Amino acid sequence: MKRKLTPYLFVSPAMLLLVTFGIFPIFLAAAVSLTNMNISGFVRPQNIKFIGLENYVTLFSDKDFWQALWNTGGFALFGVPAIVVLSLAVALLLNRRGNWFFQALRSFYFIPAITAIVAVSLIWGYLYNTQFGFFNYLLSLVGVPQVQWLSDPLLAKFSVALVAIWRGTGLNIIIFLAALQGVPKEYLEAASMDGAGEWRKTYSITLPLLRFAIFFVSVTTTISWLQFFDEPFVLTDGGPLGATTSMSIFLYKEGFRLNQFGYAAAGSLVLFAIIAVITVIQLRLRRADDEY
Amino acid sequence: MSTDTRNRARTRALTITIGVGLAIGAIITAFPFIWMITSSFKPQSESIDYPPTILPQTPTIEYYLTLFTELDFGRYLVNTVIVVLISYVGLMLMAMAGYAFAKFDFRGKGWMFFLVLATLMIPVQVTMIPTYLIINSLHLTNTLVGIALPTLVSGFSIFLFRQFMTTIPTEMLEAARLDGAGEFRTFWQIVLPMSKPILAVQVVLTFIAGWNSFLWPLILSSDQKLYTLSVGLNLLNQQLAVNPSLQMAGASVMVVPILIVFIIFQRYVIQGFALSGLK
Amino acid sequence: MKRILTRAVAPLAVLGLAVGLAGCSDAGSGEEATGPLTVWVMGDSATNFEQLVAPYTESSGQKVEVVAIPWDSIDEKLTTAVASGKGPDLIQVGLSKLRTFADAGALLELNDEIADHPGLDPANFPAGVTSSVGDSQVSVPWVADTRVLFYRSDILAEAGIDAPPATWEELRDDAKVLTQRGEGQYGYYIPQWDSPLPLEMTWSYGGQVVDGDGNIDFDTPEFNDALDTYLGLYSDGSVPVNSDFDQTQGFISGITPMLMSGPYLASGISSSAPELDGKWSVTTIPSGGDGKATSLFAGSNMGVWFNTDQKSASLDLLEFISSAEAQLDWYSINGELPALSAALQDPSLTSDPLVAVYTKQLESSNSLPLVANWDGGTGADLLAALNAIALTGADRDSTMQAFFDATAGTPTN
Repeated sequence: MKRKLTPYLFVSPAMLLLVTFGIFPIFLAAAVSLTNMNISGFVRPQNIKFIGLENYVTLFSDKDFWQALWNTGGFALFGVPAIVVLSLAVALLLNRRGNWFFQALRSFYFIPAITAIVAVSLIWGYLYNTQFGFFNYLLSLVGVPQVQWLSDPLLAKFSVALVAIWRGTGLNIIIFLAALQGVPKEYLEAASMDGAGEWRKTYSITLPLLRFAIFFVSVTTTISWLQFFDEPFVLTDGGPLGATTSMSIFLYKEGFRLNQFGYAAAGSLVLFAIIAVITVIQLRLRRADDEY
Repeated sequence: MSTDTRNRARTRALTITIGVGLAIGAIITAFPFIWMITSSFKPQSESIDYPPTILPQTPTIEYYLTLFTELDFGRYLVNTVIVVLISYVGLMLMAMAGYAFAKFDFRGKGWMFFLVLATLMIPVQVTMIPTYLIINSLHLTNTLVGIALPTLVSGFSIFLFRQFMTTIPTEMLEAARLDGAGEFRTFWQIVLPMSKPILAVQVVLTFIAGWNSFLWPLILSSDQKLYTLSVGLNLLNQQLAVNPSLQMAGASVMVVPILIVFIIFQRYVIQGFALSGLK
Repeated sequence: MKRILTRAVAPLAVLGLAVGLAGCSDAGSGEEATGPLTVWVMGDSATNFEQLVAPYTESSGQKVEVVAIPWDSIDEKLTTAVASGKGPDLIQVGLSKLRTFADAGALLELNDEIADHPGLDPANFPAGVTSSVGDSQVSVPWVADTRVLFYRSDILAEAGIDAPPATWEELRDDAKVLTQRGEGQYGYYIPQWDSPLPLEMTWSYGGQVVDGDGNIDFDTPEFNDALDTYLGLYSDGSVPVNSDFDQTQGFISGITPMLMSGPYLASGISSSAPELDGKWSVTTIPSGGDGKATSLFAGSNMGVWFNTDQKSASLDLLEFISSAEAQLDWYSINGELPALSAALQDPSLTSDPLVAVYTKQLESSNSLPLVANWDGGTGADLLAALNAIALTGADRDSTMQAFFDATAGTPTN
């Protein structure tokens, strides 16, 4: 029955790759997290010892772990709404006209999304530099003293988040623009004839029709911000004094700088669990919302 | 003036204001990019000058030349293009999977799709070492195929394909089957052509990911001849950065081609997302 | 239940398989392979290295392939290379990472090879540099680097300072004077990532941070003197407090007319600010109290990869680059100082006044203590403690006590 086999044939290559490079490593990490594996374990396997949940116990009493967790939560709480609101706002505005001018503008807003992180770090590092950076130069022209964009613990969080927001809006603006194409013009025209103003139309008609897109963007952005890594890594290396260390950076440093793979594996499982729980909560909230 | 004309005039004024506002926003958003390009033409002493200049006083293209003559960026460029092309094979595999999830009912579909979505939540750091070991046991380290392999398929793309393909009318597929077309033929001759918008999206997204790929080329190549543009750019980060212009030139080489690809495919990209039923 | 069990067994089995695959690397058989030798060098010095070994390839026929590794990616490259067992034949090892590499088992032991390859004998190199961990020699010094005092003679003269400071007390006073020049001007620069700096100060005060048993002990009077100076410079307001301060631009613009750095800064200044020629110079670092000015012996060694299949060819190449001729050649091609004692005393080097200072300083320099992980561990903790006190006002006594407790007893051998 060739027909029965077809879906399996079509699905298997991709599934095989996904399972190999996505799912399997998580199980491997779970196993490794129960050992004291470090770099010498590769050359001398006899050094690896089973230590049960000890890594997890150490993890939860590690103040660096809690700082990273706290930072990650803070970043997500600030960054996700910022991106969703900003992307939505820009998309709504860009959607006003379909002429060449507005279409050209889209490319500008997409530029941050396509810039390689290595390039981003170079450029923003120079812009943010305290003594010689462009931003402080502009501020000096109006008499504002030097701002320590990347050195002040509190400000650094903001500076790093800003770069991530700058990068994150690009794709989401495109997604919202696409969703906006699905808003029937007739509804809006009918509302205009009834005398509804711009804001009223947007609020009562457009936004509700974008609910799925908003949901989609929120979920994917949350997942991505819980794994926040690139920007703090290249701009501040998690500093100053751990102020911008996210969970992913904490894991990376444990795993690759300190070579404590068992410990890092435990941490990554905790992070995975957190992401899974929060995503499920978001899905449940939407389902509850749908029921009304 | 009648109410109608006044309304129209007000709407027009509003549109112009918005247009100007967006344009300013666009320039601010693109400013780091603009600064990068102009800096790449500055001579070394000017690039570390303070106060900083936006436009170079004595522009030079020497750093672009250095990249390709002394620093092997030409080879990195070729490698990067090859990695992108290999990624397009993955594109086909993901389209097939998305089609299966969208248009077929089969045992295990539910939990398989769940797995697809689950992979989105897995932090990259977890996968690094196990993935490296797997590629190593397949004897694919230090090959461009091995470099492209870990990111060949992504749950996000499969999800997008599935979303879009659910909108393809099943009747068309049934008609083709009745005519005696095999499953693969149906996929190739009907489903894919109807999926042009989502394919456009994926072409752009895959290009971006492949072009900017840094992690796997770095880890998997023990031969500098296989480095991609990102790794080459990272090499320019000496312990003390004394030549910003060279680094900016490298960064520009990385960003400009993607921008061109995006500008060409822009309209289809948005259409692709739109028709995926993201409403 | 059963499914959970099977789910647990499978990954454990696979872990075993994975480790097995990793450990099952090419065991060294009696015969040696032929073909090009692979050398991993740091940063973008790959083309220069090819230039260096060109004469060797010509005379011996041995081809050499050079791979450049970005500085900030060495950790991943090492880990994955060790994990798979697949590495180069020769690998450049930054001194601060020597212990990490050795502990990972990545380096071949060379003790038995010295008889056949006398060029690799540690005795050929200055006493201050390390090539062994414990009794096991795992590397050969390759390039030397040190820290000297850079100063802007023009700016100092304007402020009434005729000669660079010779002691840390003088430096502190001079820095205060220079800070008076105006808003945003400083006297000295302390890099917040420079973990060896407090050690250099301690050594120059005549002290040590390693006790008689070879364990770390920071709680010494000289270390505390060094702390007084280090933290004092901050409390005087003589140093910038932002972490992204650019050393090169700072020196060139005159914002920080004194700082401690290495030869790479000198070449950076010459190439980007030739107009400053004659207005700056270098000298040996200050001493403190009764101590003798002792700086850092930094740089890189070269090691042989633990399971290379071309051992004797690798050793021959290693001997070649450790020869005086090759070492001096490398200096003229790439600007990195030789580590070989004979090369350091060569007149072609010492005739350059800047280099004369470097070689003089190298005679009185120490390597970092060989703890298991300086960069990520002990050194990072040191910086965290110092930065917490200097930048966020943490209490000195309690922070330092916590640091002493955390690091005391760490072995260095």
